[in-house]
Amino acid sequence: MTRSSARRAPFHERYFHYLILIPALLIMIALTVYPVINVVQLSFYRYSYARGEKAFIGLENYYRLASDRFFLKGLSNTFQFTALATVAELALGLGLALLFNTKFRGRRWLLPLVIFPMMLSTMVVCAVWGAMYHYDYGIINHVLRAVGLSPVRWLFDPNLALQSLVLIDLWQWTPMVFLILLAGLQSIPAEIYEAGRVDGASGFRLFRHMTLPLIKRHFLLAVLLRIIDTFKIFDKVYALTGGGPGDATETISLYIYREGFRYFNLGRAAAAAVVMLIAVILISAVYVRQVIRGHA
Amino acid sequence: MRLRRLLVGIFLVSTVATLGLGGPKLIIAGRDGVYGAAMQLAVDLYKAEHPDVDIELLKLPYSGLYEKLVIDFREAIGAYDVVLLDDVWATEFMSLGWLANLEALGFTAEADFVGKALAVGRYPYAQGALYAVPHVGNVELFAYRKDLFDKYGLPEPKSWLEVLGAAALIERYEPGIKGIVFRGKKGNPIVTGFLPIFWSFGAEILDVDGRPTLNSPQAVAALKFFLAMKAFAPTGVEIYDSSELRDALQGGTVAIATEVWPAWVPALDDPAKSKVVGQVEIIPHPGLVAESSPVIGIWLLAIPTASKNKATALDFLRFVSSPAVQKKLALEVGLPPTRVSVYQDPEVVAKYRWYPAQLAALDASRPRPRVPEWAQIEGVLGDYLQLALVGSMPPEEALAAAQARVEEILR
Amino acid sequence: MPSPRRLGRRAVLYLLVALAMVWTLFPIYWMVTTSLKLPIEYASPEPSWAPTRITFEHYRSLWEHRFLRYFLNTVITAAAATVVSLLCGFLAAYALARFRFPAKLDNLFLLWVLLVKMIPPIVIAIPLYVTLRQLGIINSLLGLVVGYQVYTLPYCVWMLLGFVRDVPLEMEEAAAIDGASRWRTLWSIVLPLVGPGLAATAIFSVIMCWNEFTYALLFLRSPAVFTLPIHIASYITEYEVLWGELMGIGLLASLPILFLSGYVQKYLLRGFAMGFK
Repeated sequence: MTRSSARRAPFHERYFHYLILIPALLIMIALTVYPVINVVQLSFYRYSYARGEKAFIGLENYYRLASDRFFLKGLSNTFQFTALATVAELALGLGLALLFNTKFRGRRWLLPLVIFPMMLSTMVVCAVWGAMYHYDYGIINHVLRAVGLSPVRWLFDPNLALQSLVLIDLWQWTPMVFLILLAGLQSIPAEIYEAGRVDGASGFRLFRHMTLPLIKRHFLLAVLLRIIDTFKIFDKVYALTGGGPGDATETISLYIYREGFRYFNLGRAAAAAVVMLIAVILISAVYVRQVIRGHA
Repeated sequence: MRLRRLLVGIFLVSTVATLGLGGPKLIIAGRDGVYGAAMQLAVDLYKAEHPDVDIELLKLPYSGLYEKLVIDFREAIGAYDVVLLDDVWATEFMSLGWLANLEALGFTAEADFVGKALAVGRYPYAQGALYAVPHVGNVELFAYRKDLFDKYGLPEPKSWLEVLGAAALIERYEPGIKGIVFRGKKGNPIVTGFLPIFWSFGAEILDVDGRPTLNSPQAVAALKFFLAMKAFAPTGVEIYDSSELRDALQGGTVAIATEVWPAWVPALDDPAKSKVVGQVEIIPHPGLVAESSPVIGIWLLAIPTASKNKATALDFLRFVSSPAVQKKLALEVGLPPTRVSVYQDPEVVAKYRWYPAQLAALDASRPRPRVPEWAQIEGVLGDYLQLALVGSMPPEEALAAAQARVEEILR
Repeated sequence: MPSPRRLGRRAVLYLLVALAMVWTLFPIYWMVTTSLKLPIEYASPEPSWAPTRITFEHYRSLWEHRFLRYFLNTVITAAAATVVSLLCGFLAAYALARFRFPAKLDNLFLLWVLLVKMIPPIVIAIPLYVTLRQLGIINSLLGLVVGYQVYTLPYCVWMLLGFVRDVPLEMEEAAAIDGASRWRTLWSIVLPLVGPGLAATAIFSVIMCWNEFTYALLFLRSPAVFTLPIHIASYITEYEVLWGELMGIGLLASLPILFLSGYVQKYLLRGFAMGFK
């Protein structure tokens, strides 16, 4: 791989690394560059898809979004959902990973069962939780009634609906966090702990000062992956609440879907999409900076 | 090495399989629930007579159907040959030339069809050419427990104020029974549930010049009344759709259903499914300021302009809308017919005692605004009505916000 | 004889494991039992913990509603989308891991890939729809395979980058000295070495496509090309939710993924340990 040999090599050898990058590059351009440009462009138009009428209106779509209650609520709900779900999943995932990092009987065959939820289709997950949440004949309310508590309006209490959706996400995606953190824990050499114990460190101190720093990278990765994923929240809302009751579970993705594919108001949907895009870029800026630093 | 060959193999096989799927057939885009069951029966009957025709029936939820139809029509994909559509979408579809002119294809509508039902299938309304055949003769009715009303000496409600009074009374003295049930779910359900009250209070969605008047004093009064009803409604009424409403009515847990569409309750007098056999009276809803004028809600059958099998589709359309098949669908599934002769058929009336009243209601009915933007207006109105219903927004504010948004839509 | 303190700790450990398993498995148990109950039982106000009478009616009904076809559609889409992404992603990952591009173009590309990974699919759904329509592949599995590259390609590039970086450089250098072409080195030296990584990446990519809902909902129109998630959603109707069928199909739809992940379980953890460096 020396420069002198590369100069004499034929074209496809010399530009090998460019050539093999091309397929991915082309797909990425076709599927992302054009669409993103198009979305930005569309956001300056009033575009009724059904009638095919298109008119340039400058920033009007953005003005209107800024005063649209459903959009604003969607924005705040999306951030709220992302924060709640990510924190809860990390806490539970870390607990599970620590648990499965110890040795106990049956661990080998319990492990694949623990990650079962993340293998399920979200539609199925929604269906089973929808059944369990059912106000009248759901099993959860049945248990609550049986122990003398009043039933809970899981999906249609405006103050609880979003949290109920978080709970479903927690069940479905904690396994992912669990897997990443377990991988991190298992990559820690046993000697480090032994050294720590010799120094007389207690269990919690050991965890706080040795384990956590060592799995920091895995931890951050799990945070990033969950933020990316929860920020997109769409199918659970679509399947279970439709954004309701009222606007309690409205999210940006749902807003874009409704404006774009139900009202066919493509300009406004595009403007909402641009806002979401900017939010995503801001969120990932921190991580991206790290990537650049680590790679360059 | 084996992995490589395997990967290439999978890729080739899957590419070929991807390209090769899907043969020619009659594809029907319809609704789920009772409409789906009825269409399935019609398809089975048709297949028995025409074994050579391969029919695929798509059973979609309300908004899913609308969205799929718009995209299919707009892109002229021609994925569907026969489509079921709500009459409120018809204006939009017909004005954009998305539906085939049935008369030009050779279809003639007999006088036997209920006039008001046929009118929504014509463009312009009631006057123009026929683009869609009425399939389900739905009209929004009102149901109350005759036994309970009699018990407390209450007369058949003529005004909405009596309705509220009766609900309060019955709920107070009948344990386990709620006063009122309606559809509170976001979108089409809450709008349709609210409309009879809205109109009875003298409010209008659009004035004679087509300008929205959603925040008129009458509209606000109507919404306040609607919210007052919630106090007597079951827990969770804000997510009630037709199935919850039907279960509450047939389960005997409510005294009044302000909104009943005949297609929902074919089993009302079936002891296997209903606890209130013979006790529920179905009538046109009460009035108040304005006379009662039931909302008509026809499901229409049409052939998309882009369909590639129009001849077969037309034959199927003729078959489904024939008196014999309509009668069968009414008797076996409870699908409300659109032909006068079926409404008057003794066998049908014997099974559904409210059919004469229903036919009268159809004749006295009024359609929702015939504007192409209706689907969007309904969506917006539904969003804000529900905000008011769950108490997140005062009624005046909700209607004002809906008004602003509808003005923007109609601009 | 272990000390009482040690025994107590064991007890707490097993209690915690039991709790974790109940939390994880109860919904799945509920799914299995509901799929075996008669409607009158699962829709009663007094839910039963186990079916009083087991019925396979729902499964028969699923079969009659062309479960197999939707299943095959999903298999084809997920497999094809994964293969395309894996191929392109592997080549790109190799180029990015082994070569410095001028003007930091490689970093730029990686950033871009990362960004795409974060873009919610709905954001670019509209133009993507238009693109697929112009290519004449809207409403087809091929179109879906192309659309899914938005999800799978960035993911595969990132995952595989980590795996390729872990392949020792010496082996490639040895091959180069032996006079093997770069293509040959890549194909017969590097590829086999990242085999486990490819497997782990493929699994996640398949899972992603298998359960994908948004694009399938928007891009597919004819029932002949529906995938499982779309078909599953059709069991939730306005008039009633067919819980029995719904739970049955949910179970059937996830079995292949479960087997797949069980089969490559040893790669799964390693994949996470390595792939995200």
